[in-house]
Amino acid sequence: MAELILKDVCKIYYKNKKPVEAVKSLNLKCRDGEFVALLGPSGCGKSTTLRMIAGLEDITSGDIYIGDRRINDLHPKDRNIGLAFENYALYPPLTVYDNIGFNLRAKKIPEKQIKEEIHKIAELLDITDLLDMKPAALSGGQKQRVNIARALIRRPEVLLLDEPLSHLDGKVRQKMRTEIKHLHTEINCTTIIVTHDQLEAMALADRIAVINQGVLQQFGTPLEVFNNPVNEFVAGFIGEPPMNIFNVVAIMENGILHFKTENSLIKFVVPEKYIRFVKEGEKYRFGIRPTDITVCREDDSYTVKTKVSVFENLGEECRIHIRLDNDNILSVVSSEIFHFKYGDEIKLKFNPERIHIFDCKTGQRIEKALQMT
Amino acid sequence: MANVRVEGIKKSFKKETVLSDISFEVKDKEFFVIFGPAGAGKTTLLNIIAGIYVPDEGHVYLNNKCIDHVEPEDRNVAMVFEDYALYPHLTVFDNIASPLRSPRYKQPEEVVKREVTRVAEILKIDWLLDRNPSELSNGQRQRVGLGRALIRSPEVFLMDEPITHLDAKLRHQMRAELKDMQRNLDTTTIYVTHDYLEALSLADRIAVINKGKIEQIGTPEEIYYKPANEFVASAFGEPEINIFNAEVVKENTELKLSIFGRKKIKIPKNIQKLVAEKEISIVRVGIRPKDIKYGFIQKNENCIIGKVYSFEPLGAKAILTVQVHNQLVQLLVPSDSEIQLNQEIFIEIDMEKTIFFDSVGNNLLASYSNVERKGVAWQN
Repeated sequence: MAELILKDVCKIYYKNKKPVEAVKSLNLKCRDGEFVALLGPSGCGKSTTLRMIAGLEDITSGDIYIGDRRINDLHPKDRNIGLAFENYALYPPLTVYDNIGFNLRAKKIPEKQIKEEIHKIAELLDITDLLDMKPAALSGGQKQRVNIARALIRRPEVLLLDEPLSHLDGKVRQKMRTEIKHLHTEINCTTIIVTHDQLEAMALADRIAVINQGVLQQFGTPLEVFNNPVNEFVAGFIGEPPMNIFNVVAIMENGILHFKTENSLIKFVVPEKYIRFVKEGEKYRFGIRPTDITVCREDDSYTVKTKVSVFENLGEECRIHIRLDNDNILSVVSSEIFHFKYGDEIKLKFNPERIHIFDCKTGQRIEKALQMT
Repeated sequence: MANVRVEGIKKSFKKETVLSDISFEVKDKEFFVIFGPAGAGKTTLLNIIAGIYVPDEGHVYLNNKCIDHVEPEDRNVAMVFEDYALYPHLTVFDNIASPLRSPRYKQPEEVVKREVTRVAEILKIDWLLDRNPSELSNGQRQRVGLGRALIRSPEVFLMDEPITHLDAKLRHQMRAELKDMQRNLDTTTIYVTHDYLEALSLADRIAVINKGKIEQIGTPEEIYYKPANEFVASAFGEPEINIFNAEVVKENTELKLSIFGRKKIKIPKNIQKLVAEKEISIVRVGIRPKDIKYGFIQKNENCIIGKVYSFEPLGAKAILTVQVHNQLVQLLVPSDSEIQLNQEIFIEIDMEKTIFFDSVGNNLLASYSNVERKGVAWQN
């Protein structure tokens, strides 16, 4: 049980003698018992970060602490870290029991104690029935359980999970996700998960570190990154279906500042909270989540009258799509099931509280972009 | 005009049976989805319709004429694959035109030009004709791929998971694009997928297949609201439908359901009547995650006590997993719900939105009693 602290951690690789900055001055403080996700597209530096914590990769500069121990120069096995990778790397000739006990045996712990520990952890992960089986006889989900059991048996201070679900398909994956989340509440061990799947990060983590091109973009709770993305990258990366993001220009009409799309298909009053940030004549990136637009009957300053381009009933929800132009579709997701067809006229209300405005050039959230200049 | 019929199709590879006795009819202009998990036999079936595989038994009919002995290239069907396989060095125009310039279908250049323009207009890509594939978005590439298949004016489109392998966000967008195109196409289409969202969104009718057998054929509405069995019910929806055993018990004059070992739950009148008439003592009860409510006080006698097992926010919604008497029940709730792990919680199952199966889950007994769904219009 311990805090994990990354202080100005950098990683520079040399590729054809040219330096490549894989991780740029990363600062993260994970609380004791916290579940933190490192989330980003492939190549963003998240796995490199995990490998530096594990000791499988040298740290170019900066420090990593577990509690008050600086671990930079410690051998991986002395860091007191549990590791579970995406490909389970179980020893095929050994039974599940022996796979889990392998590391304890290496440490020459008495057999009786090993047995106790294995049974305790097996019960926690619900694999007691599998202890005598060989890995080949297990399903993907079962293998991952054994894998995690093996990582946990050493009672690590920090548990590292590298894409633990990405090998599993659809339903097994979702069930395993629920299990891992529950397991974390039982063991309460500081846990870092690396994933490229934003749903997985949202579902599991207490806080998410969104990383892009080696740079930490935002570190916050799932709802913080979902509701208040700091820039267009985070806004687009988090959430499925993705946030609607398109170009607007601020115009003055009857003395009131409006946002409008180039073809005027969408036009409405600039929300109160943005008025002091928005300049007439400027272009902006306008974002709103599909769940923050509702179908309504009456008009107000935030309704848009339009026509349905595509309608989908997906059972649990329905999705309405409006073609804005050749390249852009505006999507609306509603838990209330409507029945529309192509060409139907509808009124859509944009929740003014949930509109996001980003700077056209920097992609920063507008409030933030202005603070920075 | 084209309808497709398959009759009694059987196919084995070596000793393994891949398809056993598949029959259905696809109507003219219908968008027909073959849905099933990996390994169900979907692609094999599509390849049999295309003429690439020969079935061990059974027949394929196009417009009521048996085409068993017609070569694939003479069947007048067009296959659309996942990666569209566009020629990178050719413009959009030349890509679409390529089938009409091939030795087999060679047409005069003025016909090629007319046809490419016609198809490009239908697919709304007429403004892209001079570009190369690398300059196109994914949605545009898909349109070009379809355009190339369309130009031969095939009678039937066969599509094998054209968008399934894209990431979730792109799939959402591409599905909308595909559906938008579909409206303008009017060509009989057979579409294979293992993504239930694609099936529900695109299909006029869905054939659910599993282990080489048809589980159900129906409209999306029928499949979703009246699943023929537990397999079909579980295949549509995520998180999947909760299904548990229930015992029919008599309390005073009323029939109730005993679930999770003890709790007696009131059930609608028509269900009481049904179980009484058929003398059913055990049923399987299915309820979708969005049709279970929760609360922290016992509002009525139908509320069941449990403990919060996990809470997974997924954006606007969250999956709440509740442990009730050694079983896990999943609910779909707003993600800003205030929920503590391990706290006591009451769940309330809306019995009017449940689906009842027989004791082994093989047959539907009743579903969504008394629920008036607005209109009939689940129309794709």
